[in-house]
Amino acid sequence: MGNSNIIAGDRKVVQSKGKHIGPSWKFSYKTFIVVPAYNEEKTVGQVLNHLIKRGYQVVVVDDGSSDNTYSIISKTRKEYPEQIFVCQHLINQGLGAALKTGMDCALNHGAEYMVTFDADCQHDPEDIKNMLIPLKKNLADVVLGVRNFDHMPLFKKMGNQIMNTLTFIFYREKVSDSQSGLRALNKKSALLLRLDYRGYGVSSEIIREIKNHKLKMVEVPIKTIYTDYSLSKGTNTSIGLEILFKMILDVFKRF
Amino acid sequence: MIYPYIAGLIALIGIILTIIRFKEGRTSPRMLLFWIIIWILVILISFFPQETTIFANIVGIGRGLDFILILGLIGCYYLIFKIYTMMERLESNIAQLVREIAIKNEKIESLIEQIEISSSKKK
Repeated sequence: MGNSNIIAGDRKVVQSKGKHIGPSWKFSYKTFIVVPAYNEEKTVGQVLNHLIKRGYQVVVVDDGSSDNTYSIISKTRKEYPEQIFVCQHLINQGLGAALKTGMDCALNHGAEYMVTFDADCQHDPEDIKNMLIPLKKNLADVVLGVRNFDHMPLFKKMGNQIMNTLTFIFYREKVSDSQSGLRALNKKSALLLRLDYRGYGVSSEIIREIKNHKLKMVEVPIKTIYTDYSLSKGTNTSIGLEILFKMILDVFKRF
Repeated sequence: MIYPYIAGLIALIGIILTIIRFKEGRTSPRMLLFWIIIWILVILISFFPQETTIFANIVGIGRGLDFILILGLIGCYYLIFKIYTMMERLESNIAQLVREIAIKNEKIESLIEQIEISSSKKK
């Protein structure tokens, strides 16, 4: 990778500028990874360690988990207090609310770029720097990670195609993967997004907001790691129907 | 015919309960008025069911009681809708609270962290 000054996690670049003083100066100081976690005790520690090792600052949102997720996060935070910020929802609120909290928290700490990253180990942390390139080159306001549908199990693939079609019907925006959990956005778009959905519907809502605010969007292919665990999580049929219902209500709200 | 008296009794109990709830401050004056009117209508309709035919004919529905039933059903749906929107609002208020608390707590924690770091540097 020759483009070292646009890659996050490259500490040399930041250090040579040397003007950013504070606890986080030695990290890729303006890029924050937002990790929403709900009952992910099996994977969250591993995900956090991967991200920390690559020098990112991480905002973890524990969305009212009933298992050990919070204590695992706290333990990791004690080891790397300068790299991890923890928000805890006292009551479970859903993916949308958790993302919003995480993004607000990142903005509070002066984030210029933020990446949303699932806590279930299905993303490859190596993809993050590819996602950031269009943002840092000012080619995009929002970067969506596109999973490879060929490697997806059939039932997941169909579900995702249906969600893409629905997103297109309701929000008139054609995207290759509307439900992907890996997205990168700059500060401008993070401030503009108005997210009302608290659950999984937020993924489609983000597309709606991109369209409404005429933000520049770029799609970047990403790797997806399918384990039995990550397959059991995420969108299923009933959640899909719920999203559809919300979308229909959304149409009425416009009048 | 015993049915008007049963309906009347239920309506009376309804009115008394509404007034008690109002006195305890658990209902607003508007809701008190609303429920009293509803219960009085129930009494009137159960004692003079024939009179409803007049209204039914105006709207074009044959029998008076049918008209009342339809009205009641529409009223129920309206109430369900009201409750639904109210719950939506409550849920989003709770979400806002939970989010705010999370963000505030995080801020405080980061501040404490910074103070600790700077104080340990001084030492």
